[in-house]
Amino acid sequence: MADIAIITLSVICNLIIYLAFGSLLTGRKDTKCPLLLSVIAGFFFYYFVFFFFCVPPMKYYRPLSMLTKMWVPFVAVILIFSSILNGRKWISWFKNAMLYVKKHPLVTVFMLLLIGAQIVLVSCTYNFTLDAAYYVANVATSVETDMMNVYDPFTGAWQDHYEMRYFFATYSMQDSVVCQLTGIPALIWTKSVMAVTIIILTNMVYLMIARELIIYGNGRDEVKAGEDRTGTDHSTDSRKNSELAVVIMTALMFVINLTFITIYTSSLFLMTRTYEGKAIVGNLAIMTVFYLFIRMNDDSIKTRPWLITFIVCFGAATISSSANMLLPVELTVLFLPMIVRKKAWKMLPKYISCVIPGMVFSLVFVLYVKGYFVFYTFPK
Amino acid sequence: MQGLNVTEKGIRYLWECFSYYTGSCAYFMLYAAAVIYICIAGTKREKEIFVPCSVFLLLTVYNPVAPVILDHFFDVNSEYYRFFWIAPVIVLVPYLFSKLIVSRTDRKQMIVVSLLIAAICLVSGKYVYADGIKWAQNIYKMPPELIEVSEKIHEDSGAEYPKAFLEYEYNMQMRQYDPKMLLTIDREDYLYAVSNPSYSKEMLEDEMHPQYVLLAVLVRFQDIDKESFLNALETTKTGYVVVSRENPRIDYLKEAGLSIAGETQNHIIFKYDLKEPYEFELVDYSVVY
Repeated sequence: MADIAIITLSVICNLIIYLAFGSLLTGRKDTKCPLLLSVIAGFFFYYFVFFFFCVPPMKYYRPLSMLTKMWVPFVAVILIFSSILNGRKWISWFKNAMLYVKKHPLVTVFMLLLIGAQIVLVSCTYNFTLDAAYYVANVATSVETDMMNVYDPFTGAWQDHYEMRYFFATYSMQDSVVCQLTGIPALIWTKSVMAVTIIILTNMVYLMIARELIIYGNGRDEVKAGEDRTGTDHSTDSRKNSELAVVIMTALMFVINLTFITIYTSSLFLMTRTYEGKAIVGNLAIMTVFYLFIRMNDDSIKTRPWLITFIVCFGAATISSSANMLLPVELTVLFLPMIVRKKAWKMLPKYISCVIPGMVFSLVFVLYVKGYFVFYTFPK
Repeated sequence: MQGLNVTEKGIRYLWECFSYYTGSCAYFMLYAAAVIYICIAGTKREKEIFVPCSVFLLLTVYNPVAPVILDHFFDVNSEYYRFFWIAPVIVLVPYLFSKLIVSRTDRKQMIVVSLLIAAICLVSGKYVYADGIKWAQNIYKMPPELIEVSEKIHEDSGAEYPKAFLEYEYNMQMRQYDPKMLLTIDREDYLYAVSNPSYSKEMLEDEMHPQYVLLAVLVRFQDIDKESFLNALETTKTGYVVVSRENPRIDYLKEAGLSIAGETQNHIIFKYDLKEPYEFELVDYSVVY
């Protein structure tokens, strides 16, 4: 029971931290941005900032505890700063959310059940995956040795150089920091806390996409007539039908994730290897970029859309090196046709800047593989 | 990806890779049908959102030449399938299905269409828990016996970092639970051992890799003299060998002189007394700072 309480509390803390980080990106006075987007953007922004805290001490083989001492006060400051800056906005967001819950109790209950079912499936089932031998053991090893990526997670042996495939993917080091700080075992943190967090975030994106496609898409004129996008009811039959369609769409997304299964699909990664960076990139990051694309296609987002896209792309690259090739390709197939169709040539440099992080990380990795450089784990 | 190689397969690589990716699932067919439907009957906005990206994907990711070209710059053999994740299958198919359901004005019709769609989804895919749901037996999601093995080795050893040889599944899981347990065999060596029939004479004589002898004896069940086996344990500083009760080398281990340090329901923990006691120590970085 105590473990469940710790997991629940940790997930809530995660979401609050992401909201605090995300609000710094989305919280501008002159524009409205959904609460859920702030949390999602905050997730990637959090890992984006963490990357810059983590890489220098890791490169110069400083202990994990040093990073913990730097990172934790920083997060505390951001939490305080963001709550002062965005506190009123958060209260207003939550009031709107409660209003939505009151007006659509069945929809809310159904969504909670849907997410709850997924949480139970990912956090209570046993899965044997080879990759966990690296990811989870790396967190456990880093905490045990108080070093970052210096010891081989598979055997525990000391390594004389950093494996560049994982060097820039600092996601697991964040897990190590939290495990070191809280004393939560790596297995519980990764396979329960982070798995549940990722399921919640992914379903948030699904919900945002469904609402964007169905409610705001079909009722765009209504929205433009003065409604905000935070869930305020239009009180029409069409609106009720749209809400029903959103529920059905998200339920079907869940069904597809349960049934689109081979060892290669992103659905399998989401349902069985939720805590891995690849699962986050293949589901959360790709879907977040798709959501941003829909909003930009509709010209309905004024809140730094390209900055958020950049943060999502860079943040995803710090979560898993799979993002280095996936997100540039996704950006290209989604945004290039849109830029050409809209003749929005001013967007081109922004699109390119979003592609750059992944390309740079890829290039660095290729140079490493070709033997142009190596980062040693000791002074040489 | 399952032994697929771009150099060998050439432009056929894409199709084979895609076949492995989709398996028996028909969701990509539903996605293709949905894109065609949007092209014909979709609204302007739906066309803007779903059609250009699908065409672009067809020209790039699903172009048979693409992996061949990419392979010149990056090794894409094992990871090309991840590009298939970009296609918004999970958005478009449910979107059109949900539209179809709510477009029915009659409630009975709505239920019938919903059931029909649910049936299509079930027929189109393979259920993630088709082989049954395995519920975790503890909060760590580890086999309880693995935890027991870890505790027994630490109790017996007294060393902070004991070193052990474990069977495949435990070897991949032990350090997730217990980072104080050093392992003799790394992932790549184990993958080689379980996917190849035997070790060659040259490999067994390779002094740089004494762990091959251990794998040959305990995984490939090759006939190797006990002295070489003990030497390999000594060289790799392996103090414990954990095998399941079904392992056919249990008598071999006893005859080699290993003692039983502990037992669980399905596993036996053998102990090897190293001639030169081994104490693993973390590298002292304080001299560097």
